[in-house]
Amino acid sequence: MIYLDNAATTAPDGEALARAVQFAEQNYLNPSALYGGEVFSALSSARESLLSKIADPAQFALVFTSGGTEADNQAIQTCGRRNVVLSAGEHAAVYEAGVHLKNGGTELRLAPLERDGSVKADALLSLVDEKTSLVSVVHVNNETGAVNDIFTLAREVKKKNPRCVFHSDGVQAFGKLPVRLSPDVDLYSVSAHKIGGIKGVGALYKRKNFALQPLLCGGGQEGNLRSGTENVLGILDFAFAAEKKFASLETDLSRLKELRALLLGGLDKDVFTLISPENGSPYLLTVSARGLRGEILQRLIMERGVIVGTGSACSSKKPHSRVIEACGYGKDVLDGVLRLSFSPHTTREEVAFAAHALNDSAHELKARIG
Amino acid sequence: MEKVIIIRYAEIHLKGKNRGYFERVFGVNLERALKGIRHELHRTSGRYLVANFDEEKTEEICGRVSRVFGVHSYSVGLCVPYDLDSVYEAAKEVCPREGTFKVETHRADKKYPMTSMELNAHIGGRLLDDFPALRVDVHTPAHTVCLDIRENGTALVFGKFEKGAGGMPVGTSGKGLLLISGGIDSPVAGYMMAKRGMNVELLHFHSYPYTNDGAKEKVKELARLLSRYSVSAKLITLNVAHIQEQIHAKCAAELNVTLLRRFMFRLAEKTAKEMGAKCLITGESLGQVASQTIEGITSSNAVVTLPVLRPLIGFDKDEIVLVAKKIGTFETSVLPYEDCCTVFLPDFPAIKPKLSFVEEEEKKLDVEALMREALESREVFSL
Repeated sequence: MIYLDNAATTAPDGEALARAVQFAEQNYLNPSALYGGEVFSALSSARESLLSKIADPAQFALVFTSGGTEADNQAIQTCGRRNVVLSAGEHAAVYEAGVHLKNGGTELRLAPLERDGSVKADALLSLVDEKTSLVSVVHVNNETGAVNDIFTLAREVKKKNPRCVFHSDGVQAFGKLPVRLSPDVDLYSVSAHKIGGIKGVGALYKRKNFALQPLLCGGGQEGNLRSGTENVLGILDFAFAAEKKFASLETDLSRLKELRALLLGGLDKDVFTLISPENGSPYLLTVSARGLRGEILQRLIMERGVIVGTGSACSSKKPHSRVIEACGYGKDVLDGVLRLSFSPHTTREEVAFAAHALNDSAHELKARIG
Repeated sequence: MEKVIIIRYAEIHLKGKNRGYFERVFGVNLERALKGIRHELHRTSGRYLVANFDEEKTEEICGRVSRVFGVHSYSVGLCVPYDLDSVYEAAKEVCPREGTFKVETHRADKKYPMTSMELNAHIGGRLLDDFPALRVDVHTPAHTVCLDIRENGTALVFGKFEKGAGGMPVGTSGKGLLLISGGIDSPVAGYMMAKRGMNVELLHFHSYPYTNDGAKEKVKELARLLSRYSVSAKLITLNVAHIQEQIHAKCAAELNVTLLRRFMFRLAEKTAKEMGAKCLITGESLGQVASQTIEGITSSNAVVTLPVLRPLIGFDKDEIVLVAKKIGTFETSVLPYEDCCTVFLPDFPAIKPKLSFVEEEEKKLDVEALMREALESREVFSL
């Protein structure tokens, strides 16, 4: 089976996992216990290693969480007051946390998207006022691969309202694109299982002087910002996997750019419409089989040995993808959305095969339903 | 003094010379329900007794018994020799220590030396002597101590009647084939026919690749839930995707559902006849959706000769939901998997399809070939 839904999750790095398991088996003590020093220092090393990958450890700190969703929720739920500005292209973890705030009386302002899924910068800035407590903009749109210039946006937001918190969901950017956090970004969410770590681990990067509030209270772990006994196995695995992923970041990037172009070039232009921006993340390519149903197509493609992601469900009760809809597409495009996402292990042969599988499946479906 | 579960029949006592048959089937169903739990099942006149079981299994046995059709009521009680002292000792066990109560005696053994009234007074009096906080209230007592004097020298003593599932023993009313979708109604229809003693077999139509495996898994789970009520634990599935494609391509859009249902009925009848089922069962309720109008029903019925039982035909949706909740299928039925893809749903389905028009449109299709193909897609799942 050729797996092209790596943006949903990707294969865990076996070597990183083995190292983490070996340590966790031999060092099972509670890192917060007085006698748990060795485990605590292993966690500290993992923290420093992950921190240095995208930030200056002198300026940023890092809170381990149970994943990207928790990191996003901690940022949105603890910082949102009065009015909150989100891009309309946010992942559900941010968007639904915003809706939750809205239900509690906070004003939720959604900034519109460009056709490719990136946020309209001017529109976003016009929504920010002196009462805005938080702005959140996804770094790489998980549905289209559009890359938002979060650093410029953060700077502009701070110019307009220096007290406003700027958060970005970096789950699809971390370990995939070169990132260096600027001090204008207060909070940045990442996840382990998108880059070869295991599921159930993530982190929230925070500017050092930023007064973050906890979402979970209890034993005071993570500097009282995230209580709960640390997921030692998961955190070490995350750090080991990130170590490898970042080491090959640039080579992966240029190779995947090529593969993405190869796949795009191989798709039948009469059937598939490109939704992703040309210069989007090389890890992700979103297309729509206009007039066809993505979910049905997904099953036919799977029968040909390729797993892809989909943006819609074959159901009258389920709405279309909120994000692609916000890009301004009509029903015929929304119905047929497919998301193809790669990993560094994806090969040229796989991509070439997948292009055929997509074309053949779409042609078959067209023939079957007329 | 032995702990027993007393099981009373529902309508079996109404059956004249066939009563023995009904009781035998009922006994077999009880044994099947209690499979895997150590027990003995005894038949006495008008009762079944579960005896010699592990006490900690009492609740589980009661749960299983409560779902067997034909059970009118059941009670957890004690079986003792019917001498007065033994009966009293058992009455003490089941009687609370305070509050209002009465003793109620039923004598199957009419030769017993005391009348029912005398027994009530005797046992009641002794209970009052021993437990001064008790008070007698023969009209609206909080507790009733029931004495059942049997002909074999034993007495059954118990405190509460629990309501059973009612109905007739499954297997006494022949075999039917239920067209089960993933929705709320069809499992309820299957339950209702099983309740009337029918052996219910299950047939599900899917439409891969237009519907997904999640929908099929959901139906399997519904079938598993229904099997607790003696509905078949076997699910047959047929793929009707190509039939839908052909209808979509060749026939009037407003008849998509009407025509598909005619195929489903034909396929169901063929399957039913193969397995010896004497009828089809559906969860249709009059007017609930476009295909469930009298015209829609007429159009489906026209292609089959077997009777089609529709136990929910006069039910409102909320009445069906109530039963679905009671039998535990509701939560699974409302899981979000579609059993039909919107690709094939017309914007305006025909509410009153004219049979002649339906038959005319159907002539555009190779019915036999499509049927053959669908039957070849048959899968059978044991749950």
